[in-house]
Amino acid sequence: MNNGFLEEKKHKREIQVRGFLRTFFSIGINFWNRIWRGNAPDFPLFIFASVTSALMGLPIIYVIWRSAFAGKDRWVRLLDTRIPTLLWSTLSLGVIVTIFALIIGVSLAWLVQRCNIPGRKAMQWLLALPLVIPPYVGAVTYIIILGPRGWIRDWFGSSPFNIYSFWGAAFVLTMFTYPYVFLITSAALKKMNRSFEEAARAQGLTSYEILWKVNLPLLRPAIGAGAILIFLYVLSDFGAIAMLRYNTFTSAIYYQMGSYDNLSATVLSMVLILVTLIVLWIEARTRKKQKYYQTTKSYKKPQLYQLGFWKVPVLLYMLAVFFLSVVLPITVLIYWSKLGIEAGALDQRFWAYGWNSIKVSGLAALACMVLALPIVYLKSRYKSYFTIFIDKLSYSGYALPGVIIALGMIFIFNQYIPWLYNTPTLLAIAYVIRFLPQSMQSADSSLNLISPSIDEAARSLGFAPLKVLFKVIIPLITPGVLAGGALVFVSAIKELPATLLLRPPGFDTLAVRIWVETSESVYHLAAPAALLIILVSIVPLKWMLSKY
Amino acid sequence: MYDIQLIGVSKTYTGSNEAAVKELSLNVERGSIVTLLGPSGCGKTTTLRLIAGFERANKGQIILAGKTVSDKNTWIPAEKRGIGMVFQDYALFPHLNVFDNIAFGYRESDKVKRVLEVLDLVGLNGYEKRYIHELSGGQQQRVALARALARRPAVVLLDEPFSNLDADLRVAMRLEVKRIIKEAGATAIFVSHDQKDALAISDQIVVMRKGIVQQIGTPREIYQYPENKFVASFVGQSNLIEGVIGNDLNTVVTSLGTIPCQHTHCLCEGEEVCISIRPDSLEMDENGHIEGTVIQFTYTGEAIDAVIALDQSDGTSQKLLVHIHPEENIKIGDHLRFKILPNFVAVVKNE
Repeated sequence: MNNGFLEEKKHKREIQVRGFLRTFFSIGINFWNRIWRGNAPDFPLFIFASVTSALMGLPIIYVIWRSAFAGKDRWVRLLDTRIPTLLWSTLSLGVIVTIFALIIGVSLAWLVQRCNIPGRKAMQWLLALPLVIPPYVGAVTYIIILGPRGWIRDWFGSSPFNIYSFWGAAFVLTMFTYPYVFLITSAALKKMNRSFEEAARAQGLTSYEILWKVNLPLLRPAIGAGAILIFLYVLSDFGAIAMLRYNTFTSAIYYQMGSYDNLSATVLSMVLILVTLIVLWIEARTRKKQKYYQTTKSYKKPQLYQLGFWKVPVLLYMLAVFFLSVVLPITVLIYWSKLGIEAGALDQRFWAYGWNSIKVSGLAALACMVLALPIVYLKSRYKSYFTIFIDKLSYSGYALPGVIIALGMIFIFNQYIPWLYNTPTLLAIAYVIRFLPQSMQSADSSLNLISPSIDEAARSLGFAPLKVLFKVIIPLITPGVLAGGALVFVSAIKELPATLLLRPPGFDTLAVRIWVETSESVYHLAAPAALLIILVSIVPLKWMLSKY
Repeated sequence: MYDIQLIGVSKTYTGSNEAAVKELSLNVERGSIVTLLGPSGCGKTTTLRLIAGFERANKGQIILAGKTVSDKNTWIPAEKRGIGMVFQDYALFPHLNVFDNIAFGYRESDKVKRVLEVLDLVGLNGYEKRYIHELSGGQQQRVALARALARRPAVVLLDEPFSNLDADLRVAMRLEVKRIIKEAGATAIFVSHDQKDALAISDQIVVMRKGIVQQIGTPREIYQYPENKFVASFVGQSNLIEGVIGNDLNTVVTSLGTIPCQHTHCLCEGEEVCISIRPDSLEMDENGHIEGTVIQFTYTGEAIDAVIALDQSDGTSQKLLVHIHPEENIKIGDHLRFKILPNFVAVVKNE
């Protein structure tokens, strides 16, 4: 215990100086002990975790700081012109996507969990499959189908629906984000205490009344959580929105930086940060209420509603969603990949892009596995206001849009650490800032399975806290840490906005190629990279399905 | 020679107004087994953690094997105190096998010999290659004990070691753990909320309540002569009856009559006290002067637990819990007479 180290040190000094210093020191140590409720962590560990989390928060803090110096004129001009339009376009898209994702996600969850649908088991994971398709890849497929040079135009001469529009963006985002609502609602339905439904039935309510009066009110927290997740996603998405040439805050910030007006970009970022924080605040409030809802751990096989005549339309609806969000996009990609491969798309350059992706993502994943550990360990074993703060601060890069992180990093590295600027390492750092919390969550959940008395047992056997960490804790949580690293790896491979803004010139990754080739309508070169990214994304699917 | 000494130790957790442990003083003789007994929240586990070095006392001094490990200016952390500890959930390392678990903290060169030695002591020869999840609860308990003893600690601390075992195994393990600790020659402190564990295993019992020691004594002293109402009712069942110390200082005058008592704690004549009568110390007797009606009874096999409503002259109602020999045939409404066995009657302070 560091405690002891400080105390011993204190004792020696007392002999040396006594008097004033003694009082001064004991006040300091008492204060230090009080912060930690008498259980102070190891000093190196504490420093390591604090520095990590400070670095995680730095880009955002720097953007906020700089926005304060953007000048009154710039603020007034942007507030008068861009900001109101952007607020409207961003929030309206967020609301529409959230509503549609909720309708699709909740209805599918209820149908799959509570109705006599053939193939319920398979449906449970088939309908979650769009999770493996990043929305910007989904956007690519729909541009290929409905775009000005797309299939529909080739076959019919004109496209009935302009994909480069509000509704185009809304459609694509809905189709590739509804699985979050579907999974959260399904989990809530599974955990729901069946006695409520049985009690309602005993009171003579019909199935329809039970749905509206029992199920939906009990699902409110799950639905709310899903809604906030979707809304936050729309706020932060860059790839799909920019590919579909719609304008929200993220794309506006991106193009502002493209025209080297970084200060205006900070102002827009500041507004987006505020909007995001408001949504996060609402989330924190609703989460507090969530615990009052009674759930059960034991799973009872649900009594299924007999759909009867409705079975056919319901099945058609489910298959339509599955077709539009999985079958069609994958088919399009396979078709164009085939064309691409025949034209020699899998050349040396392609594999070089792939290797670039693996290199930076792998580096980021390794770094995350190392950096997550001290923060998670402190939070779990030395709970105090300070460790909670460190933990929360580490989430700032994860909670806020990638373009803002990139903006902050450009400022900091350009100005203070130029030798890292324009290097792949910078890209890896950006991925760490964006995805560290994924590895933290994973390490945290395996750490929570280890009783704190395991730590104490090792200490009573003569091992200092830091040694306990290496000899006992790390061997035990290695599987969780590796899983977290895999998650970070996949997220980093898919990452688009920060990659576009921070990559060194000439350093292309798979995600960047998809972006470039699609904007130039060279679909047969975009498709193989997109397909490869989807294949990689399947790796953590099992973990994601079990998470909700 | 004391192996563990606590002098005026107090601990208040941050964020709490009430002390978890208040002015606790305790001396534990070398080689003895002491149990801290009390209901949950009485401070027994905190006391154990203070001795182990997982919590730091706000006040007082802790001396282990003659060495001060905690006072105002001294703080030896847990890993340097050289204690052995057995945890409630055993806290065995799931990634290590039995051998490596036991050898975990052992740094001498004769590691293999020592591990086999303690394995023999706990009766688990041949289990060294097994992993923890391949062991039964009782075997895990033995491994935990072996691990705690491997380093030959002067002091072994055991936190509710029997609470995860089912009833039969529990009885067997009590004897076994006591044998192992005595054979190892260690000084042990148990924490328990189970009076049967405490009575069976201890040389000394410390009864605690709300952070304050209520009584320290041998199991017999605690059971036969509880000092206050709490101890009387927490350790075993008891009938508490108010009375006054009689004029010969060896009797207590109660509504049941004048009852002879040996231990009167040197209280003065006329002082208001309670007497504690164990259900076992009331014996059915034709000539007994306590008379009452059976109003409720439960047949437990070992005895009949009956509640008797006494016939009292002054009109007040007094109920007594008695144990009747299971061969007797009683019915509700039966009139019975009892006599008191004087050795099981204790005078307790009426607080």
